[in-house]
Amino acid sequence: MDSHNRDLYLYEALNARVLGVSMDDVITNKLFAKAFWLNFPLLSNPLAWMGKQYGAYSDKAPFLPDGSVNNFGRRTVVVDKKGIVRYIKDGSPDNKEILTLLLKLEKEFRGK
Amino acid sequence: MEKKSAMRLSLGIGVTLFALTGLLLGGCATMAPEKPKILTPTDRGTVLFQDKYEFKVPVGWLLMRNLEGGDFELGFLKIEPGAFPSQTTFMYDEEPYGSSPNLEGRADQYCTRFLFNSGMVPEVTKREKTQVMGLDALALYFGGENPVQKEKAKSKVYLVKKGNRIISFVCTEWRPLDGQFDMRNFEVFDNFVQSFKFLKKTFYENLDEEIQKLRG
Repeated sequence: MDSHNRDLYLYEALNARVLGVSMDDVITNKLFAKAFWLNFPLLSNPLAWMGKQYGAYSDKAPFLPDGSVNNFGRRTVVVDKKGIVRYIKDGSPDNKEILTLLLKLEKEFRGK
Repeated sequence: MEKKSAMRLSLGIGVTLFALTGLLLGGCATMAPEKPKILTPTDRGTVLFQDKYEFKVPVGWLLMRNLEGGDFELGFLKIEPGAFPSQTTFMYDEEPYGSSPNLEGRADQYCTRFLFNSGMVPEVTKREKTQVMGLDALALYFGGENPVQKEKAKSKVYLVKKGNRIISFVCTEWRPLDGQFDMRNFEVFDNFVQSFKFLKKTFYENLDEEIQKLRG
């Protein structure tokens, strides 16, 4: 999240917008955003439909047998202006890879 | 949408396998491939690190590289006499904690996160404006103790404004509570920082240029 926040000026220059999605409630997300000085929206998705749609939520039951919650996995998804998924990566985000892709997409969009 | 992703994944795996095959065949053709040098000495008493940076190597310190990406790209480690955790590290980090693009704001953010995982609440003992590589910088001096783990640390951090971004150099001495800090380590660190040069534009500087061209 820190790294996306640092790169916001580049995302904006490349006509991209960042959204964070978590299963936490709105108040928890607000506190999280405040603690990390985040300047982009965090979406609260407790029913996990969005995580499921983008493959960040596994098909297991919402509560696992050991009582732990089936939370979102960490996944970065880039969706282009036509709504087509252009990039998916699990684990920590690789900002340089993402920015390189966004530059390519912006060049494509501008026909350069 | 899922089908397209699956196709891309298959294609990605195919390309990866092809690349691997190429590498394996290449390995057969050359019996003893020469390992690329990480540090290349110069006649100026410095070394080149992957043709990206030039600096003076601290004598007797071990080179640390982060192979998986993450908190830092390169640094040095010195194992000190005494009980665990007697060691000193310093490193160049192009992505210091926080996100503020100005030095004072970044320092405020940095101070809340630095040494967080060590369980210490570090106290900033000094904060001064300075210059590193001719660029505006802030030097931060920290100290802290973890009485439960019976550890303490003393650190010096340079936050440096480089173009649109802030980079950092960080030195930390780790000691048991009854251990002694060695201020000479910070002199070695300062020599490293003073000798540090960028040989290439960074990824972000190149990206800035590309964006300017697009807007052009």
